[in-house]
Amino acid sequence: MDKALFIAMTGAKHNMMAQTARSNNLANVNTTGFRADFEQARAMPVFGEHHPSRVYALTERPATDIQSGSFDHTGNPLDIAVQGEGWIAVQTPNGEEAYTRRGDLNIDPTGMLRTGNGLPVIGNGGPIVLPQGQHFQIGRDGSISVNAGGGAVAELVDQVKLVSAQAMGVTMEKGLDGLMRPRDFEGDLPADPIVTVESGVTETSNVNAVNELTTLLALSRQYEMNVKMMKTIDENGASAGSILRMS
Amino acid sequence: MHPALWTGKTGLQAMDVKMSTISNNLANVNTVGFKRNRAVFEDLLYQAQKMPGAQNGDDTQLPTGLQLGTGVRVTATQRQFTDGGLEVTSQPLDMAVNGRGFFRLLMPDGEISYTRNGQFHLDSEGRIVNSNGFPLEPEIVVPDNTNSITIGRDGTVTVTEAGQNNDAQEIGQVELVDFINPAGLLAMGNNVYAETAGSGAPLDGVGGEGGFGAVEQSMLELSNVSAVEELVDMITTQRAYEMNTKVVSAADEMLRNLNQTL
Repeated sequence: MDKALFIAMTGAKHNMMAQTARSNNLANVNTTGFRADFEQARAMPVFGEHHPSRVYALTERPATDIQSGSFDHTGNPLDIAVQGEGWIAVQTPNGEEAYTRRGDLNIDPTGMLRTGNGLPVIGNGGPIVLPQGQHFQIGRDGSISVNAGGGAVAELVDQVKLVSAQAMGVTMEKGLDGLMRPRDFEGDLPADPIVTVESGVTETSNVNAVNELTTLLALSRQYEMNVKMMKTIDENGASAGSILRMS
Repeated sequence: MHPALWTGKTGLQAMDVKMSTISNNLANVNTVGFKRNRAVFEDLLYQAQKMPGAQNGDDTQLPTGLQLGTGVRVTATQRQFTDGGLEVTSQPLDMAVNGRGFFRLLMPDGEISYTRNGQFHLDSEGRIVNSNGFPLEPEIVVPDNTNSITIGRDGTVTVTEAGQNNDAQEIGQVELVDFINPAGLLAMGNNVYAETAGSGAPLDGVGGEGGFGAVEQSMLELSNVSAVEELVDMITTQRAYEMNTKVVSAADEMLRNLNQTL
């Protein structure tokens, strides 16, 4: 069998995978704090006994787009958005620390502060638990204070742990649960006082719809070319067969 | 089949839910005491097709992996208990809680429910009831020869009766209730909410004290739906829906192309 057929096939297959990555971005175009994934194709020569003449296509996710999304004013005092570079520390279900940009916070019945997708937010010492039946406000440095009202001095309860990957010189990488973790870094990132948040605001998804749709089209056409190649190779085989046919 | 089809489908489903939420908010833009809902989205799990650092031949390693996302879902519709605007009416039995707090109502089945809608009336027995006829809990009965009703900021109800030299007489108190997580309340329709495990236990209180809002007589709390915000949300949702349709049709076209060409 002609090996070109398989090379064209991997091309088409990896175009489909890239399409999936792009469609995930578009599905999350309205998800608070979502970070878009990049996708790229790499030429992958086949090594082995022979000369590496065959080169397959390989789709991979080189990085996640960490540009800021736009800010959506909600007026909800528990909604926060990180300004510029910086991340909100949350606790994953297995107790580890991970980082996110989604700041649509709410309080659960035990008083624990959680993100919109239910992850506890980490404060000065582990997950933040707030006293019951109070109004809260979140300051620029992530500090949570009780809104006593009537001109009383606001009492500081806890502080949302905000970290900066840039200050630590590490790259953030998206895990399988959609949360970000520093690449090649042992332990948790330290709290960074430089990172500031805006209260009453949520950060929208940073997916650029125009970019995604155009890439989607380009990938579709590239896929069709690969299918066309497969057809051509098939025709080559057919005509080779007819030439060699005796009678 | 093409995984982008399923991913696009999750996008369509999520935008559908968001659109229903928005239309319900807009339908209730004039409902007294209504609190808007917000659809909360979450990205679904990622599938690792290739792990970074995987071996690719004798001396080569993949520098980056391939993790494909599987779409989006709606995790919750979160009710937002921000205050609505206050409207002055001339009805003595209209009340608004100016801040945190709910009115407590007794349902016909004996259960307790909670509301922010302060449009109260009198029933044939003189009890203070809401528009559906559910009485306040504890029950407050207004005497039948009452001239005027005054409700204080702490919820104290005083009346003056005919033939009593206009002496004010206290007949009861409108008690307020709060929850640590009001967003966890179960909306039962009719503008009333029920306690759930998610809302936490009710915390009793008095209007204007200990963080509770004051009870304002002859005022109503309007819906906290902002028509502008909902309409803009509607536009973004509709466009996002269209983009996801585009994904589905692109994936469909790819598969058709494959079937027709080969």
